[in-house]
Amino acid sequence: MTKTRRGLLLVAWIATVAILGWVVDRHLVIGTDLRLFMPSPQTPQERLILDEIGEGPASRMLLLAISGSDPQAAADTSRALAAALRASGEFRLVANGESSLEAIPDSLLSYRYLLSPTLDHSALDAGFLRAQLEERVRDLSSPAAGLLEPWLPRDPTLELLKLADSWLPARQPQLLYDVWFGASGKEALLVAETRAAGFDPQGQRKAADVLQRAFEDSRTHNNLRLESSGPGAFSVLMQERTQGEAQWIGSFDVVGLVILLLIAYRSVPVLVLGLLPLVSAGVAGLAAVGTIFGAVHGITLAFGFTLIGVAQDYPIHLFSHQHRGLDARSSARALWPTLATGVASTCVAYLAFLFSGVRGLAQLSVFTVTGLAVAGLTTRFLLPSLVPDSNRDAADSALLGRLWHAIAGLPRPLWLGVATAIACVVYLALSPRPLWENDLGALTPIPPALLARDAALRRELGAPDVRYLLVIEDADAESVLRKATDLDPKLEALVARGVLQGFDQPARYLPTKAVQEQRRAALPDPDTLRASLNEALGTTPFKPGIFEPFLADVATARQLPALGPADLAGTPVETRVSSLLLQRENHWTGLVTLTGVTDAAAVAQVAAAMPGTTLLDLKQASEDLVAHQRERILWCLAVSAVLLVIVVFVALRDALRVRRVLAPMALTTLIIVALLHATGVSLSLFHLIALVLAAGLGLDYALFFEHAADDPAEQRRTLHAVIVCSVSTLLVFALLALSTLPVLRAIGLTVAAGVVSNFVLALLLTRPSTRTDG
Amino acid sequence: MIGLLLATSPLHAADPDADALLARLARPAPDSTSFVEVRFSSLLDQPIVVAGRLEHRQDGSLVRSVEWPYQEVTELHGENVSVTRAGSKARRFSLDRAPELRGMLTSFGAILQGDRQTLDKYFIVSATGSDARWEITLLPRADKLRRYLSRIVVNGVESSPKCFTLAEPDGDESLMALGITGPGDLPTSRTRDALHAWCAGGNRP
Repeated sequence: MTKTRRGLLLVAWIATVAILGWVVDRHLVIGTDLRLFMPSPQTPQERLILDEIGEGPASRMLLLAISGSDPQAAADTSRALAAALRASGEFRLVANGESSLEAIPDSLLSYRYLLSPTLDHSALDAGFLRAQLEERVRDLSSPAAGLLEPWLPRDPTLELLKLADSWLPARQPQLLYDVWFGASGKEALLVAETRAAGFDPQGQRKAADVLQRAFEDSRTHNNLRLESSGPGAFSVLMQERTQGEAQWIGSFDVVGLVILLLIAYRSVPVLVLGLLPLVSAGVAGLAAVGTIFGAVHGITLAFGFTLIGVAQDYPIHLFSHQHRGLDARSSARALWPTLATGVASTCVAYLAFLFSGVRGLAQLSVFTVTGLAVAGLTTRFLLPSLVPDSNRDAADSALLGRLWHAIAGLPRPLWLGVATAIACVVYLALSPRPLWENDLGALTPIPPALLARDAALRRELGAPDVRYLLVIEDADAESVLRKATDLDPKLEALVARGVLQGFDQPARYLPTKAVQEQRRAALPDPDTLRASLNEALGTTPFKPGIFEPFLADVATARQLPALGPADLAGTPVETRVSSLLLQRENHWTGLVTLTGVTDAAAVAQVAAAMPGTTLLDLKQASEDLVAHQRERILWCLAVSAVLLVIVVFVALRDALRVRRVLAPMALTTLIIVALLHATGVSLSLFHLIALVLAAGLGLDYALFFEHAADDPAEQRRTLHAVIVCSVSTLLVFALLALSTLPVLRAIGLTVAAGVVSNFVLALLLTRPSTRTDG
Repeated sequence: MIGLLLATSPLHAADPDADALLARLARPAPDSTSFVEVRFSSLLDQPIVVAGRLEHRQDGSLVRSVEWPYQEVTELHGENVSVTRAGSKARRFSLDRAPELRGMLTSFGAILQGDRQTLDKYFIVSATGSDARWEITLLPRADKLRRYLSRIVVNGVESSPKCFTLAEPDGDESLMALGITGPGDLPTSRTRDALHAWCAGGNRP
């Protein structure tokens, strides 16, 4: 191939990748909903759980604390921040203790008689009114006079105040300057419920940014600090940490790989060419996922690039076999059967994830399979034409020669392999500890100091439990509210028994229509009320005629239709009701949030007595889901393992050769699982993915060792290739293993151990027989 | 100290020196005094009268206990106010929601501590009368406070305050007479003019 044609091919290749990359970049939507990595729900119960895990009010709740300056400044900031957050549109509910009395819109004022429980136990008769009016006279000579006086003509029974009080949390922190403060009196406390679901890190990130900006704008003193806690804040924090650490490790990886490849091939063009298949693989993988799924999950992206890193090995095999007088194209032809077997069998392994029933894993599968196939094909058909003729020959290396000689002297302890395999299986079978980790949170553990702080804030604010949630389901909102109303006294009894500290339910804000109608029917007609009021006024110092607005309001209330969820739009009550009463496709769901549950079984008992009511243990439920999901993935992996053996068998057509190729990989998998278990590590989905990756690497090493012809020079070139491959992979994953984050460490450790074990075992069990030719 | 100030202050000046007057009025906590309060409201056709004790505690909090004609205890602690009446739940609110109360407390506290600086910060202070019978008028400086509180008038005799009168823009008024034990000590006519005249009068409480 002439220099010009070579240049044209290189430009065309780079241009294609660049254009495709540009198109992908423009159209690809990166999703972050973590539920994409959860199994698709099969039963109504599972759907309920998946809905609530990320949607429940507790998972959206951020606990905020403002401190660092004098309490007055903190209180002013709390008020300004609450107003800014409410206006931002990112939060459904912001509470800081400020009374919502003034915030009740005029349209709802007359509804106070239907919403407040007063009429359930008293009637608006002369006796009740007289008692109320006497209290109001006393109010007027108390220091609260200024506060209450403006409301009295309209609301002599202070129904609005009762309503506003009843909407406050049952246990709330102390009020200073009219806003919530911690017991120390130094930090202002707020609760904010994000519009974004708890399982949507991107939405949570956005909410966190809005929160930070709103705080910067609202703070009245430069010393003030804002702390935020809760599931959303933690997911943002852990995402930042993971990204930060992954970036740091990534930069070291690049530097290390460049140095390694320069030492191995002493050529800059080779270094650059070596990257082309990998880059093509990434872009093609993204394009495939984008075309099939429309969007790609952030995790797919991060993991996918780790997994297709294997593709870096393909050009290395080609380069290591380069030597004087050999056209790279014929070399590629000679290597192809081995390379193709490696690519095909690795792809088969990753295909397992396509049928896992988990959308995120299916994306990962498509990305990896496409990427590896493209890397393999470009290494075979495009790259060889571009590789410059080399004057170096890896086989000439004296060091490599001595190494190969030493290796030739190693035993082939087949019996040891069998014994190790049996030992591992027996150990794993007999170990009493569970092999698997079901708690996803264990992989991204939140620092204990933050958890302690979260618990403290939660206690002070009486914020709902993130683990337990009562769910009421029924065909319509009225029935859900009726069940919530019926549950109320039973839960109150549990609070009295100390089983839980408190609870919140939708009927507290929006009574059933039946209850509202009952209260409406209890309102006296205008003439009767006027007569009763006049009778009650007789003995008080109130001026006659000042309560006309009250008479008018009651007359209005008698004509009001009962409020339903839809009538609340735009009112402060809506924000409370909408997070506890939700319309799903064809039914309604009511949520009862629980605070400080000490005896879940007692709560479950109450729930069981009410049809359509379930106590969700979100922790247990998500662990069950994880276990269920893993079972399915393991089955898929088993099937793909069988397919992999078939692929290798078709390629090699010799039982002995197949055994020699598959032995290191199978044994390595067993050894790693046993080692991880022995060191107290419970296996997670991430370990599984890492094990598949390690197995793919092992298969490649074994295939190439097995392939190496009798020619000692070829054997040394193969050794060179496998050493460069394994050292570069080891470098990447050993750095990952140093991570402080368990999820990165899990992958790093597993793959790094896999590389070492596969390399050593391939040498011991798979290497070709050597003729000692001096 | 009070004696020294008394001895050195001019007894016959036309307008008393506000600084010297304030210094004489200072009462270190703990301190306690009886009061009778009369409140005029636009909602009522006759004023309400209550009697009880005011207690200024060591920790700076103020307790207003109504003993007649019913029992009610108001605790003013820092920013928090709680009003508890026999037989009902405490009503809690903060001073932010009761600006006129904050104005009254600020002036009351500053006078008890002889703190001219605080008084000047929130009010335009003027004093009239003589050292024997004086009147301090406080006009709020801030617009926000003026919306809730027109003025505070403190009447007194020698080194004792006698009446605190709070006038609100809507015509409501509250008059607190200190040092008397029951409504019987007030003039029988409970009109504003009669009470103002009584407060300005020379008889010692």
